[in-house]
Parts: sequence; structure tokens; C-alpha cells
Amino acid sequence: TPRNATPEIPRRSHAAQKPASVLEEARLRLHVSAVPESLPCREEEFQDIYNFVESKLIDGTGGCMYISGVPGTGKTATVHEVIRCLQQAAENDELPPFQLVEINGMKLTDPHQAYVQILELLTGQKVTATHAAVLLAKLFNTPGPKRKTTVLIVDELDLLWTRKQNVMYNLFDWPTQKHSKLIILAIANTMDLPERIMMNRVASRLGLTRMAFQPYTYKQLQHIISSRLKDVKAFEEDAIQLVSRKQYIPRAGGMTARVVIMHSDKMSGFSSVWHNVAALSGDARRCLDICRRATEICEFAEPKRSPEIVGMAHVTEAIDEMFSSPYINAIRNASLHEQIFLKAILAEFRRAGVEEATVQQVYHQHMALCRIEGMQRPTVSEMMAICSRLGASRLLLLEASNKYLHMRVRLNLSQDDVMYALREE
Amino acid sequence: MPNLEHPAYPAAALLHLEGLVPCRESQVSMLLSIFGERQQFSFPSIFIYGHTSSGKTYVMQTLLKTLQLPHVFVNCVECFTSRLLLEEILIQLQSCSCETEPTSPVPCDTFNDFVRLFKQALVSRGLQDQTLYIVLDRAEQLREMEANILPAFLRLQELTDSNVTVVLLSEIVWELFRPNVGCFDPLTLYFPDYSIGHLQKILSQNHPPEYTADFYAAYINILLGVFYMVCRDLKELRHLAALNFSKYCEPVVRGEANERDTRKLWKNIEPHLKKAMQTVYLREISSSQWERLQHDGGEPGQLKGLSAHTHVELPYYSKFLLIAAYLASYNPVRTDKRFFLKHHGKIKKTNFMKKHEKTSNHLLGPKPFPLDRLLAILYSIVDKRVAPTANIFSQITSLVTLQLLSMVGQNDQLEGPRYKCTVSLDFIRAVARTVNFDIIKYLYDFL
Repeated sequence: TPRNATPEIPRRSHAAQKPASVLEEARLRLHVSAVPESLPCREEEFQDIYNFVESKLIDGTGGCMYISGVPGTGKTATVHEVIRCLQQAAENDELPPFQLVEINGMKLTDPHQAYVQILELLTGQKVTATHAAVLLAKLFNTPGPKRKTTVLIVDELDLLWTRKQNVMYNLFDWPTQKHSKLIILAIANTMDLPERIMMNRVASRLGLTRMAFQPYTYKQLQHIISSRLKDVKAFEEDAIQLVSRKQYIPRAGGMTARVVIMHSDKMSGFSSVWHNVAALSGDARRCLDICRRATEICEFAEPKRSPEIVGMAHVTEAIDEMFSSPYINAIRNASLHEQIFLKAILAEFRRAGVEEATVQQVYHQHMALCRIEGMQRPTVSEMMAICSRLGASRLLLLEASNKYLHMRVRLNLSQDDVMYALREE
Repeated sequence: MPNLEHPAYPAAALLHLEGLVPCRESQVSMLLSIFGERQQFSFPSIFIYGHTSSGKTYVMQTLLKTLQLPHVFVNCVECFTSRLLLEEILIQLQSCSCETEPTSPVPCDTFNDFVRLFKQALVSRGLQDQTLYIVLDRAEQLREMEANILPAFLRLQELTDSNVTVVLLSEIVWELFRPNVGCFDPLTLYFPDYSIGHLQKILSQNHPPEYTADFYAAYINILLGVFYMVCRDLKELRHLAALNFSKYCEPVVRGEANERDTRKLWKNIEPHLKKAMQTVYLREISSSQWERLQHDGGEPGQLKGLSAHTHVELPYYSKFLLIAAYLASYNPVRTDKRFFLKHHGKIKKTNFMKKHEKTSNHLLGPKPFPLDRLLAILYSIVDKRVAPTANIFSQITSLVTLQLLSMVGQNDQLEGPRYKCTVSLDFIRAVARTVNFDIIKYLYDFL
């Protein structure tokens, strides 16, 4: 192999196929990686970040900005869009030129590797972490006659945390140096990250320029999906609305979701039911995933029908698939003795009034239940096999198996869910 | 008697095998039918359990050796880390189909490497077209290794995609092995205990050539009559049989009785065996000592044995410290005033003895006590003035290192340490006698 080869992946032997149908076209556009040119519903945030970086660029100073928001609210995409616009402006000589460096905490094996990455992206040198830290400090602390401004994007900032926090400290200390000309855009999920995990001197260097990305409302999600499907007629309008409204599901086990859905089947109009459920999680990625799944379901459901369009039923099925808990299905499809074991656990919990029991106690209940049902009673070994099978599928929470009959058992889902699953025959 | 039969193996080898493994015919024929022919796939993993010396290792080893099946036999106690275990398997695999020169051992750190190297080794040894057996003796040690080792061995056939069977031998049941996240369950086989008839048959098999088989069988019969109640371990019984046989033959050698004189022989050996149960069987007297004793014609049991050596020379204050610790461990705190205060006023015996206390403190074991209480009792029981010098305190810690005391809850060395006394009553009485202290008078249990 050549000495300075660039890494590449093998090319595919056939050219990628063009989308044949409307649904496939829709699927391509709905893919999470297909980030659009301009992000809808994030104009304000875009403007704020743009103004911040632009002002620093024009002034030739440095600074930090902390960007937070729950996953899937468009933080990274917006920042990238800002950078793209700035680069365009710099090319047109409207702004002074700048250098872009981007690191991601999740992609680093160790927080200290951040130094190595930054130095390599800046100068192309590859050195050890400690040496890189020294070199970077020298680079940013000494005045250079014609240094360009550097924009550093730090994604997943919380993973750069170390016990002494020296990585974070250095990162946020460099922009405060007089000659550094470093602009840092730090991205993380929690809004109060600086207060929670950073030491005071780090938090104060990070400064108070902060921006929180609010979760998308259902109107915004609807707008995002329809903007992606601009001229592709693949979805019913109602279906998109349902997806965007259904973003939030109360996370209280599978049953709640299931009951709500069953109720909704009975009602005629969907929108009236979902009106009560606010779009709280506001994750655009999940929204897109549901839409793509719905197109697949639609494709498999009616392969013959020519004008394929994703309807309400497909979306409901996709949402059901994504949010319903598999526990209830697992219990319903468990073997007879496994179901009796779960019943025995419920009986033991009711008897003792505590939500924890040893296998021995459950075993007695199991025997009694078997006697009532007139079934053959399992041996202790079979019983342990039943118990550990349920534990391996995480229906139960178990201790280490070497405690044998004194092993304590807890349910991994609520008693109501178990009862609900066992009652229906 | 069920004869071993299998179409894949020569009848002569099977007959030979049957002679080698008495009383295990059904297990061996079961294993044979599971193994099948060489090129056939067997179970991915077999778990064999049974008591100590129920022939698990022996049967497995003879079976694989006699039929010349390619196998690897590893003891997991010897290979106590996963790295040692995996490398040992690979090394044995290299020498498996002999003829090749010994190659250098391959480093193998992870199971991932093992699977890769294992597949390479199989191909290079030409073992792909027959079942390879990996026998892991004392498999309970596998649970102590990394969490992935046991599940990975259980599905080695699937991981390596080759014809391999892993046999696990253990004394504990499968339920105690199963990892919490589940695993591929092996086929479990049980090796039952030998009955008294089996033991008789196995033990009488290798009789000394200078005597007849019946003579030796009668000896084994007597031996089992004495020992079967307490011991069913074949190894132990075989050892005892070898030790005591010369004593059994003595009357015949001296000409006092002939080989048919069972009653006389029994009279001679029976008390000797009973004595052996208390001495050799408990390893009070070592086997070589016992043999020498028999040889010299000394009275068995005149030696003191290991457990009789409970006499320890201690300094004066250490003795009193130990006595004080013993009293603190076995007496309730509320009785201290009654026992150790000189002018404690009137404490009625009826009040002082609690009626509902039935169990004696000696049955419940020693209780922990603080250092202050130990010192208070020490000052009370020693008649002279004791200065709390560094010597006294260093003696306490050296009693701990001698394991005569033990420290409870290692949390704080300096601030209020708590101790327990770990010596027996006989020991402490012997110590108390040397300093003329009547310990029984001060013990609550003996009041």
C-alpha cells in the first residue's frame, strides 16, 4: 500500500438505483440523513447563531456559545447550516476568511484525544495528547501576525468531562486569550450542563451566551414533513398530522399506549382524540422514522393498487409498532408454566404486600396454583429454568443465579400490565 | 449385563472399554450414542454432573482415549484465567494429531482470538471431518472468569462453525451455572453415586496377586461394613483399603489363621478399622505414620495426632488478654457488673438470670466487643496494676495476626475497633489453668 493513502470504502459494483415509485421517492426524502438545504422552523435560532459568529468574525475576537436542546431538535443541523452560509459569505469576500474545526465527543475514545484531533485538523500534525495540548496552548496564546479566525464546533460536550475537567477548561480558556481568535460552538443535550457538571471556573469561561432549542411542536413537525415531501404526493394530509401529533406518548408501560390506541379505533375522528396529547417529545428524527416505516407498510399492504398513498391506517400501524411495549406480547406468548409462574409472583406479592419475593416463596405459590389447576407440578430445576428464562427476557429482574432458591425476584413491568396480559385469553 | 454396542467402533475396543469402566455401562453407552460416528455432529455442549469420585473424569478420559477420538482435556483449576485456559486448549490441539513437531504457543488474549485460532488449528490438523471434544474438568471455575467465557463455550460449535463438542464436568448442578442473561442450555447428564454393591465390585477388582480374589473380597466387605456409613468416596475407600490390608493379612502371615478363617480375621481387623476411622480418616495421623505404626506393631492411636497439639506458649499478659477477650465474647454486657465489679452491691441472682434465655452463648458463637470493654475486663481480672503501655496494645494486634482474635468490620483501625475471640473453650481453659484463673466461674453459660 502507498505511504500516504487516503482511506476509502470499496465501491459498489452496480450503480445505485433511481427511486422507481412515489413511495420510494418519499422514502429517500424522508431519510434522516437527507438534511434539506434550509431547515424549516429554525429560522430564529439560525439567525441568532449566525449573528453571534458573524460579529465575532468581523471584530476578530473570540468567544463561546453553548447550544442545548433535547435530541432531534435540529441543533447540529442548524449549526452546520450557519457554517455553510458563513463559508459562502467568506468566499464572496463579505466576511473575513476563517478556519473550521469540528470534533465530536462521542467519536473520541478518550476526552484527551480532543487535543490530538484539533491539532490534526488545524495543522495536520499527529502527536500525543499531552504534546498536542502544549502545542495548541502555544498556538492560541502567542500572537500570530496573520492568523485566521478559527471556528470550533464541539458536539456532545458532556462526554469531554474528566475528573479534573482540564479538557473543558482548556477549550473554553483559549477563546479568552487575547490573540487566539477562536470561536467555540458547544453543543449538548441538557440546558443546565454548565451548572451541573462544570467547575465554576470552567462555567464562567463558557460564558452566558447560550441558546436552547425548544422541542418541535406538532405544527412544526407537520411543516417539516410536508416541506420534505414538497411535490411528492405520498401521504394523506391527516396521516402527517397524526404522526406529528403522536410524537408524544405517555411512557407508562405498554398498556397505556395500547389502551389509548384501542380507544381511538372506536372513535371516528382521529384528530379529536389526539388533540389532548400534546406533541411533547418533539423529536424530528423519530417523526421521520415513523413516516418511513409507514411507507413500507403501505407498500407491503397493497402492492396492486396503483395510486399508492399512505393513509391513516398505515401510520397507526407504524406508530403502534414503534411505541407499543413488547412485554405484553411476550407474556401472552409465554409457555403455560411461565404464565403460571407470573401468576404465582402476583399472588406472592399480594400475600406479602412487598414487591419482591424469593424464588422459594414463589415456588410454593406455583405449586398451589398447579394443584388448583390440576396440572403436573414442575421440579425445582424446571422451576429455576422457567425463572431464569423469564429473567433473561427481562420480564423479571433477578439476582445472580448462584443464590438458587434464595434468589430474589422482582417484576420488570407493573403488576397491572402483567394482569392485563394474563387475563385476556 | 448390557454389552456396549456401536456400529462405528470396533467391537474389540468396546469390549476393552467395558472392562475399564465397571458399573458405568449405561452412562458410557449413553455417551457413545450421543457422540455417534466420527463425522456426525454431536451436541454443542454436554454438562455432566455427579458427586465427588463418581467417575466423571475417569469415564470421559478412558472413553476418549480408548476409542482414539480427537480430544482436548483441560482442568479449569489449573487454568485459572481465561487466557491460560484458551492457550492450553490451543496447545493441546496442536499436539492432538501428534506427528507434527511442537510449535511455539500462540498468544491468545480474548475469546475472539481463540475462535479464529481454533478454526485455523482445526484446518491445519485436518480435524474438520470428525468431532473434536473439548473436556473442561471442574467447570465451576468457568463462572469465576469473564462473563462471556461460559456462554461462548456452550455455543462454540455455532461460533466456530465446526464439528466440536464441549463437555463440562462439575460437581454442582446446572442451575447454579446459568448466567442471568440466559445462554444456550447444554444437555445435562447425571452420573449417579456408586451403590455399596458397585463399590464392592470396583474395590475388589485389583486384588494383590499373592492372595486369592475371595480373600480380598472378604476384606473389602469388612472394610465397607465399617466405613460405608461415613464415607462413599471411592478414592478415600481405596486409600483406606490399601493402608489397612497388611494388618488384615497379619494372622495369615504369622500362621495363626488360614485364608478361610473369616471370623478370626474379622476379629483381628475390626477394632483396628474403627481406630483408623478416628485417626487416619480425619488425617489426624498421616498415612505414612500409620503404615510405620503398623509395621512396628505399635498400638494404633498412641500418637497424639494433629488436633491434640493445641498448646500455645503465650506471654503472661497475652494470656490474660485472651481470657478477657473470651469473657467479653461469650458473656452478655449486662452481666459484667456482677462478674467483674468488686463491690457491686446487691444484684439478685433471679434478676440477673433471664429466664427466657434458653440457648447458650457458646452455641451462638462469639459476639463482637469494643476495645474498652476488653481493657476493663483485663484490669479487673489481673490482680496487679496493669499500665496501658504500648506493649499491651501491640499484644492485642499480634493476637489478631495470630488469628486468636479477629477484628470485626475493618472500617476503623484506631477509632473504636471491635474484636471477636476465636479460640475454643478447651483452649482457653488450658490457658487459664496456666495462670491459675478459674474461667468457668466467670462464664455466664456455666452459672
